[in-house]
Amino acid sequence: MKEAIARAKNWYDRWGGVAAVALITALWLLSLPPVLPAARAELNTSNAIVGSVLDAQGQPVSESLVSLWLEEGEAPAATAETSPDGSFILSLPPYFTSPARLEISRHHFTDYAYTLSAEESAVLAGGDSLVLEDFTLARSFGPAFWVATVIFIGMLVVMALERLHNALAALLAVAVIFAITFAGGAITESLFIIDFEHDLAYIDFEVIFLLMGMMIVVGVIEETGIFQWLAYKAYQLSRGKAWLMTLILMLITAVITALLDNVATMLLITPITIQIALAMGVNPLALLFPALMSSNVGGIATLIGTPTNILIGSYAGLGFTDFLRDLTPGVLMMLAGLVIFAMFYFRRDRRAAPGKVSPALLKKLAENARIPDRKKLVKALIVLAFTLMLFIFGEGIHLTPAVSAIIGAVAMLLVVNPDIEEMMRVVDWTTLVFFMALFMVVGAIEEVGLVSTIAVAIRSVVGESTALAGIVLLWSSSILSGVVDNIPFTLAMLPAVGYLNATVPGTANNILFYALAIGVATGGNFTLIASSPNLVVAGIAERAGYRISFVDFIKVGAPVTLITAAIGMAWVLLRFL
Amino acid sequence: MSIILCATRGGEESIHTQDYAIQRAKEGGDSIVFLYIFDLDFLGHVKLNARPDLLTEEIVEMAGFLMLMAVERAEYAGVTASSLIRHGKFAAELAAAARSSGASLVILGRPAEQGHFKESGLVTLARTLSDETGIPFILRPAEQPGH
Repeated sequence: MKEAIARAKNWYDRWGGVAAVALITALWLLSLPPVLPAARAELNTSNAIVGSVLDAQGQPVSESLVSLWLEEGEAPAATAETSPDGSFILSLPPYFTSPARLEISRHHFTDYAYTLSAEESAVLAGGDSLVLEDFTLARSFGPAFWVATVIFIGMLVVMALERLHNALAALLAVAVIFAITFAGGAITESLFIIDFEHDLAYIDFEVIFLLMGMMIVVGVIEETGIFQWLAYKAYQLSRGKAWLMTLILMLITAVITALLDNVATMLLITPITIQIALAMGVNPLALLFPALMSSNVGGIATLIGTPTNILIGSYAGLGFTDFLRDLTPGVLMMLAGLVIFAMFYFRRDRRAAPGKVSPALLKKLAENARIPDRKKLVKALIVLAFTLMLFIFGEGIHLTPAVSAIIGAVAMLLVVNPDIEEMMRVVDWTTLVFFMALFMVVGAIEEVGLVSTIAVAIRSVVGESTALAGIVLLWSSSILSGVVDNIPFTLAMLPAVGYLNATVPGTANNILFYALAIGVATGGNFTLIASSPNLVVAGIAERAGYRISFVDFIKVGAPVTLITAAIGMAWVLLRFL
Repeated sequence: MSIILCATRGGEESIHTQDYAIQRAKEGGDSIVFLYIFDLDFLGHVKLNARPDLLTEEIVEMAGFLMLMAVERAEYAGVTASSLIRHGKFAAELAAAARSSGASLVILGRPAEQGHFKESGLVTLARTLSDETGIPFILRPAEQPGH
């Protein structure tokens, strides 16, 4: 038995990553929509009823069943299903007679019946097609709505309280949703939440592959020692001036986290920064806090800077250059505000304690910051530059960011590190599974109408005002993502923001998506638990004897969030209104 | 010459503990082994990918730097010193280090320095390890002046 377990473990170590890629690819293929019969039907719309089904907010309702009932018929004479844009083409049977009525039904909506008038029936009887006015379905908030809502809120609470690993919490939520759908739905239709195939379609594999590709790219770069070396170079350039060291370190972390993962950045920069601070005789927190806050803000600048930007970019169709053009200048302004705050707030902590550092300590510091393999670093940087060029220029040939990331990852593996098994272990499969499960949970709450309910509530507050919509979205997401995990928050908000984007005038420039991006990222500086790099820095600092409590963090984080969110809001209003 | 094992990290509180250990070593003509113990339990709270393997390497290097500072301070005071870095659960690693180093006395820092330990917890831990290993474990006195 032990041997079997050991063999299984070996197999998993060897092939687990490859198996995970195959599984993800299979799920993606399963989620692809089949070739729609409507595509063929479009070629033959004679003698058909054509229309669209929308919800109360004017959004298309896909997969509604449209049935044609003739007088005294015991079964529908013809049926059709609405496509993703809500449209349907219902081909008439040869024996069409009047009176006739249409019945439209869909889970989580109230059934709708429409009786064709005599004139409309006459058109159809004459062999022509009939185009009807849009049908509006009203939402139906039954037990499925409340069950799905409780599951979603329960998942967020479990994550916030850390009772379960995030991925497990999301998977549990998915499992409960399907258990209720299939077991409960067999007892009563009102417990049907969403079916598996439909829910799979909510997984955005663009996001999954983009994340996976960048994990490999970052995984190779992490091992080169470049982060530590850059922090040491900042120390040398500053020539012992703590204020200059702070400034350079903030700029370095902002630039790095705009392009690479900020958890990895802070994980590798924090230990060397602590050593540098001690060598300079200053409190390490005077360097760590500004660098950390800068890393949370710097990531807003590009599509790949934060996971939330990746989610927003994919949903809204925003590319790498869109973020560069529309957000990077604002991020630079936020960083300027952050630098001024850091210089003022930590001025006492930056005062160096007297005493010289021994040559042995300086030598140790230099050793800890060395680049172990320069050739590997150069190759990695060339491939990184190539990947960034793909992001920027690939849009011109419709190269999606996910494909650019995968090409970059493959280039890294081929050019820098041919050990694919090692790099497959570097990919955080748990995080990818977490994202997939989260997409499915949010798909379920979108299906039952929770998201549209939230969207309508926000719409009722902001009315027709673009500025108010942007302000409300930015500040509410900034504050909430300080206490709630910003990834599920962003995922749940995206359809609501999509609705606002389609209905509030003047938002076609994507101002609301950018407001959301700034809000959820600036909220990452609010509390200790608001973002993963915060916990990484606090954990490492504690292990060096410099404990950061929840209250210590908020004393810095709250004003930083206020300042950066305010500047971000000013930028968004200036840029888009 | 006996060996004093001093469990320490960095920071102001640790410096007080190191000074106390140096003072005791000087009085008794002993040598010191500065012991740094770390774990990566906090990564369980990190929601996105963190590299435990890389972080372990970085913390070991950071610990090496912190311990070198402690060793230099001891040697400047005329006390022979070396350091030890261990990765694992605090109590278990402390006991193992105490045995393997041949220490005749183990000095622990105050609660603030030890992170999540309260004073009563540390006192209990010291007593338990003392009974287990047969080596005296003491906490730095609270009255120990700072430098």
